[in-house]
Order: sequence, then structure tokens, then C-alpha cells
Amino acid sequence: MKLALVGVGAVGSRMVDRILEVEADTGRAFTRGNALVCDIARTPADGFDAVPEDQRVLLGDTHERVTAEGVEGDLELAADVAGADLPEFRRALDSLAIHESDGVLLVADLGSATGSGAGSVLVEELQGLYDEPLYVLGALPADDDGGTAALNAARALRSVVPTADSTLAFDRETWPGDPERDDDPEIRALATRVATLFAAGELDSPVVAENAMDSSDLIRTLEPGGVSSIGYASTDVEPDERGFLGRLLAWFSRSTDDDEATDAAKVKSLVQRAANTRLTIPCEVSSAERALVVLSGPPSELSRRGFESARQWLEAEADTVEILAGDDPRPRSSTLEAVVIFSNVTDVPRIDTLQRRALDVQAAREGEPASDDDADDARADAASETRDADGVDAADSDSGAGDASDDAPLIEDAEAVADDASE
Amino acid sequence: MKLATIGVGNAGSKIVDRMLEFESRTDRNLCRHVHAINTARTDLAKPDYIPEERRVLIGDTNQKAKGHGVGGDVEIGAEVAKADLDEIRRAFDDVEIHTVDAILVVAGLGGGSGSGGGPVVIDALQEMYDEPVYALGVLPGEYEGGRPALNAARSLQSFVSKVDNFIGFDNDAWRAREQTIEEGYEQMNRELAARLVTLLAAGETDDSDVAENAMDSSDIIRTLDTGGVSSIGYAATQVEDTSEGLLDRWSSDSQRVNRDDGSQATKIKGLVRRAVNSRLTLPGEVSSADRALAVISGPPSEFSRKGIESARQWLEQEADTVEVLVGDDPRENSPRLSAAVLLSNVTEAPRIDQIQNQAVDAQEKIAEQEAVREEQINDLITDDNNDLDPVV
Ligand SMILES: Nc1nc2c(ncn2[C@@H]2O[C@H](COP(=O)(O)OP(=O)(O)OP(=O)(O)O)[C@@H](O)[C@H]2O)c(=O)[nH]1
Ligand SMILES: Nc1nc2c(ncn2[C@@H]2O[C@H](COP(=O)(O)OP(=O)(O)OP(=O)(O)O)[C@@H](O)[C@H]2O)c(=O)[nH]1
Ligand SMILES: [Mg+2]
Ligand SMILES: [Mg+2]
Repeated sequence: MKLALVGVGAVGSRMVDRILEVEADTGRAFTRGNALVCDIARTPADGFDAVPEDQRVLLGDTHERVTAEGVEGDLELAADVAGADLPEFRRALDSLAIHESDGVLLVADLGSATGSGAGSVLVEELQGLYDEPLYVLGALPADDDGGTAALNAARALRSVVPTADSTLAFDRETWPGDPERDDDPEIRALATRVATLFAAGELDSPVVAENAMDSSDLIRTLEPGGVSSIGYASTDVEPDERGFLGRLLAWFSRSTDDDEATDAAKVKSLVQRAANTRLTIPCEVSSAERALVVLSGPPSELSRRGFESARQWLEAEADTVEILAGDDPRPRSSTLEAVVIFSNVTDVPRIDTLQRRALDVQAAREGEPASDDDADDARADAASETRDADGVDAADSDSGAGDASDDAPLIEDAEAVADDASE
Repeated sequence: MKLATIGVGNAGSKIVDRMLEFESRTDRNLCRHVHAINTARTDLAKPDYIPEERRVLIGDTNQKAKGHGVGGDVEIGAEVAKADLDEIRRAFDDVEIHTVDAILVVAGLGGGSGSGGGPVVIDALQEMYDEPVYALGVLPGEYEGGRPALNAARSLQSFVSKVDNFIGFDNDAWRAREQTIEEGYEQMNRELAARLVTLLAAGETDDSDVAENAMDSSDIIRTLDTGGVSSIGYAATQVEDTSEGLLDRWSSDSQRVNRDDGSQATKIKGLVRRAVNSRLTLPGEVSSADRALAVISGPPSEFSRKGIESARQWLEQEADTVEVLVGDDPRENSPRLSAAVLLSNVTEAPRIDQIQNQAVDAQEKIAEQEAVREEQINDLITDDNNDLDPVV
């Protein structure tokens, strides 16, 4: 799938840089450098490896309240700046061949002020500008990122999810890597998932698939919108294109029936591993509305029986009949990979956690409107500890009533909270 | 007979490609015209035998396809084909229709392009030509899941109502085991191609000097006249090489053929019986067939009038119909004697009922999920009391 990437904020921009690197390193061709990064700051950041200078745009560099640090954690400022600088943003977009792309992927750290504030505004703008599907790869903050990050993310989700065609979330709690470091293995692994998924259907292998997963397959899978999660697993195998002697030896040592059974089991367990271990965002897989799975590797390793039963397993696991499955033969590859996407997962505990944390921060802020963020966080964390302690019974009884009474004070002051937030 | 053969979608193109391969390997000349029509550029790069200029990409300017398939969506498959009807018709312009007896459209029914686009292509062909238009439709395996079953159940209705006859192929019955994905499809497609080509290539020359029992195109067309859903059975056996040295003696371990007519007759009847009892392209109740036709293909020295007669009698009983034709298809240099049996309008095919049931369940499930989609997404991104505001 030909994709135009748009990175927003420092983290989003670095992520774009990482994805481009993985694309180049793995010989894939789905963006072909079609990428733009934008940040709010006085001076442009450097240290990009793959995004050329003329594809980096600076927003708000003349805005009076933007400092050397950028928006200094002010989400509303980030949103205002992005809104005011839309003409600038649109001009920068001209350098992207979006109409020749099959979709746009906006990448942002939704826990940051710029990612959340400017990200939400730019998602809306991009959705209005183009007919191509707009996806968001959004980082959700880890616990250690603090309450403000949780609030930023919880609010961004409410803007981004309904606007984007699908929001691929990744959870910094399970994916703690540092995007600023270009050798961070976690971030690379994450970028690999994105690249493997979106590179499907680009004719970049000498062998044509029996059932290629093409951009239309991916677009259809993501069509329900909502939040999506990507799973991936790989295992080392022998490439098909060995020397003649190697093939001969392999042929002699092949005790067909047993080997085939092992191949089938290998493929099935690989797909199971992809679906079960460390999704980009942990979720209840059975809450997915659609799923897509691609099996990639040397053709001789792509066991038909294994893939068929993996697909059946997936249909039961994701509890949906909307499963698209494809092969991606790569004769020279020495890995067997499975990538799975669960589209529109609606049971995502991590998002509930972020919302609870966000409510605490919001409640703390409302108590003392003029406070700075760090103090907010401290107060919110204290509040959340109290709440957690109080919440034991409520959680045990597992009833909505407990939640309601916890949150009851907020309802009365809901307007005050909103006013505070938009200040 | 002589065919214009059109593969629609990925499966359709791959199967047509294997038909051409089988033809070229067995010196037949069935497909006088071929086309592969698809919405996916990637898939169109796959065939080995279909000439480049016969591969037609449709929907490449369509926002929903863009040359990348239709994602298994039948509606879009049909929509895209309809929008590009002029292009499809233009592609058929160079079909010299007087040189063919019939048109065959080949498609997989589980996806979007073949399943949705196939019926649109068939409509265009029926409108343009007087020749009969047949379809070979691949039914998805149960293991493929609910969506392909739903696509197939819906598309089957369109196909059957539009074509002069629909020949079924059941991926479930032909599910390969111990193989790679590629080998599995290749083997299925080769088995299917052998059946289709052996059956339909009978009478391709329509020579007057061939044997009196020769099958000709009009026999096949007559048998297919019933409409409905049909199935093909097939069996083959090696024959003793008569033209010395043409083949290495790789048939040396096959038993010597005794050339008296009695045993040849037994052999032919046995072959037809084996074909009918073999795995059919679409498993079904043989006695529910409306008409039947058997083609005996191989070196004329193997033919036997008595064999044809007793095969016909046996088939009449088995298919429980008097509308049975059995005939020869002389292939002078063939190392094999084969029988392809067409069971036309088979009304009892359990797999079709299964697919319909699977489809009904799938349709319900999809509707249920769609009904709660908005609400569930909203629940996910909204805190319990709706206290958190969106950014914009
Ligand atoms: N929370 C907070 N962060 C600040 C402040 N001033 C500077 N920052 C820095 O900003 C960084 C990330 O916070 P945000 O301002 O939300 O990030 P951002 O630059 O808007 O967003 P990204 O570019 O996507 O990272 C932190 O690492 C802080 O060092 C401040 O007053 N509050
Ligand atoms: N027998 C056989 N069946 C196949 C083959 N490839 C695919 N199929 C079947 O055909 C169905 C449709 O798949 P495709 O032909 O790939 O789909 P398409 O018509 O190109 O449509 P889209 O991919 O949705 O654009 C599948 O569900 C399979 O059941 C093949 O090589 N042989
Ligand atoms: Mg396809
Ligand atoms: Mg919730």
C-alpha cells in the first residue's frame, strides 16, 4: 500500500524517521520517501536520518507564546498554533504525492501536548483535504509519563478516533522504547510491524503471491474505524534460494510427512504467537470487528495446512467472520513472519486506565486552576492512590454504580472543568 | 469445441493460465481467445501463459480499487466492473466470435473481483454474443471462513441465473494437505484444468474424417443446455506406447494392453465408471443429474465402439437419465487414455447447502457487529460520565 507519512511533534517525527529507515533496510517500497514531519518550535530540530530537510515543517515559529521549548506542555496552545498555521501546513503538504498514495498515516505521540493538540487539528484537516483513507499511528502514554500525558491522550482519542479512518494505537507502557534513539530495538520492532503491514501488496518480490493482500484488503479491514492493534511474530528459517547442493541436501534430508506436519505446526503457532504476544496495544482480541493476517517468508515454508488452520483459529479467536488472509512469498528471506491486524477492537483496558487517570488530573486541576503540570500530576497521583484504595470494593463488585459514585463530584463541576481545560 | 475463455479475478486468471498450460502440454487447442480481467495489478503479474496484452486491469482509476483489488468486497467488485464496462467490451472487440463455439468465464466466488465482477462480465457477453456463455465457479472452502461463504452464496445466484450453465469446483473437496500454499493451489488448478480441457476440447477440430463416434461441439452444447449447476468427473490411464521411441519406455511397468476389442471395451467402460466415481469437481448426487456426457480421449487405437455403448448404458443407469452421450476425442500421440464426464444440472450438491448455511450465519454476525459499531467505539473513547472533552 502506497502511504504518505505525516509525523506530528518530536516523537511522531522521529517515529516517521524510524519507519523510513526500516523500509529502506528491509528492501520494501511503500512510502518511497513520501513523508513530512512537522513540529511546533522556534527552531527546527535536527538529527533526522531519513527525512530530508525540505520535508520538515515548523509550525508556530513566529507565534508569540511558542518558546524555544515549543508549547511547553500546553495542549490548547498546540491546537491553536496548528489551527493558525494551517495554510503553512497545507503548503508543506504540496510536496507530498498524496493523490498517488493509497492512504495517509499520521504519526503522533498522543500523550504529548503537540501530538495531542496539533495532532487532533491536523487529523481533521487531512481528513477534509483528501479522499484517501487517513490512518493515525498514535502512541498512548506509559504510567510513568504522568497524569497530564494521560489527559492529553484521553482527550486526543476523542478527537482523533472519530475523525480518522482507523487509529492504530501503540501503548508506551508495553513499548517503552525511545524514538529519539535511532538504534532503539523496541522502536525498530514497532516500525517493523507498521512496515510489514503496509508493505503488503507492493510488487517488490520476484514471486507473486497466491493470494496477495493488497491495499484494498487492508483498507477494507480498517474500514470500521475505531482503534486497531497490530501483532507480529517471526522465526528464523532457511531461505529458498540456496545453492544447488544445499537444495539437494535439503531434499534428501526431508522425511516428508513429519516435516510437513512440523511446517504446518510451525506456521500455525507463529500466527498464534503474532496474535497473542505483545500487540501494539493489548486488547481483548475477541472484541475485534475485522482482522487481516499476512504470512511472509520463503515459499517452501508457507505451509498451506498450517495457514488454513491458523486462519480458522483466528476466526474463532477474534470472533468475527471478516478475516482476510494472504501469503507474501519472499524466496531470499531467512525469516518466516506473521503480521496480524485486529481492527476496531473495543475492549482495550489500557484506554480505560488512561481515562481514569485523566479524570483524576482533571479533578485536581479544577481544585486549583492556576497550578502547573507537575503539581497537577502529584496531586492527581495522590488522588488516584486514594481512589484505587477506595476502589477495591467497587472493583470487586464490578459494577458501574461504583464508578458513578467515584466520579460523582465531577459531574457537578463538569462545566468548570471544561472551562478550565479550554483556558 | 473452441472457446473464448475469460478469467475474472485472481483465481479465475490462475485457472485459465493452467488451462493454457495443459493445452500446450497435450497439444490441444481449446482456448482460441483468452483474457484475464482483474482489479489488482499484482495478481495480473502472475500468469505464465496468458499474453501480456490480454490482461485487462479494470477499476484502476476507481477510488475504491486503484489497481489494488477490491478487498473481498463483492459490491465493489460489481461496481468497479460496471463502471468499466466500456473497457471490458473494448477488450472483447477483437474476439472473432465466429471462430468460437462458446464462451467460458472462470472466477473464484469467495472474493470480490471475480465474485462481483464475473456476473457483470457475463451480462456484457450475453448481450454482445449469441453463443452460449458458461461459467466455471470456484466455491470457497469451509476453512476460508464466513465472509467468503457469504460472497459465494450471493454470487452463485447471479452466476447461475445469468449463464447457460455453471460448472462448479469445490475448494473444500479438493483441499490439498501436506503442501505449501503455492503447491496446494497449483495442484488444484492443474487437476481442474485437466478436467475442463479434456472435456471441452472434444470436437475442437470438428473434422469430418474422424471416427463415427466422435464427440462434437454441438453435443457438449446440447448437454449443457439444461442450465443449472454441473460437475465434472475424470479418470485417466497410461496406454502402451505404439509409436516406438516417442516416449521413453516409462510405461514399461504399466501392464501390456491386450488389443482385443473385448478387453478394450471393458477398459473404456471401467474408465468412465472410475471417472464418475472419482472426486467430482463439485461433489454431488450423480442420479440427480439432468443430462450426462462422457468424452473418451486418447489414441484412436484404444477406442472401442462396444466400450462406448456399454459405458453409455452404465451412465444412463447411474445418472438416472436417458439423455446421455458418450463419444471419442481422438488424440493420436497421447500417452494416455482419459475419460471426462460432464454431469449437467446436478440438483443435489451438499456443499452448496453448507455454503448457504455458513453464509446466513455470517450475514447475521456481520449485521450484529455493524449495529453496535458506533456505540462501542464511542464507549471506548469516552469516559463513563463523559467528563473528558475532545481536543477539537
Ligand atoms: N509537561 C511539561 N513539559 C514541558 C514543559 N516545558 C517543556 N517541556 C518539555 O516537553 C516535553 C514533552 O512534553 P510536551 O510539551 O507535551 O511535548 P511536545 O513537544 O509538545 O510533543 P512531542 O513533540 O510530540 O513530544 C517534555 O520532555 C518536557 O521536557 C512544561 O512546562 N511542562
Ligand atoms: N481453486 C482455486 N481457488 C482459488 C485460487 N485462488 C483463490 N481461490 C479461491 O477464490 C476465492 C476468491 O479469491 P480471489 O480470486 O483471489 O479473489 P478476487 O476475485 O481476485 O477478488 P479480490 O481479491 O477480493 O479483489 C478465494 O476465496 C478462494 O476460494 C486458486 O488458485 N485456485
Ligand atoms: Mg485479492
Ligand atoms: Mg471506557
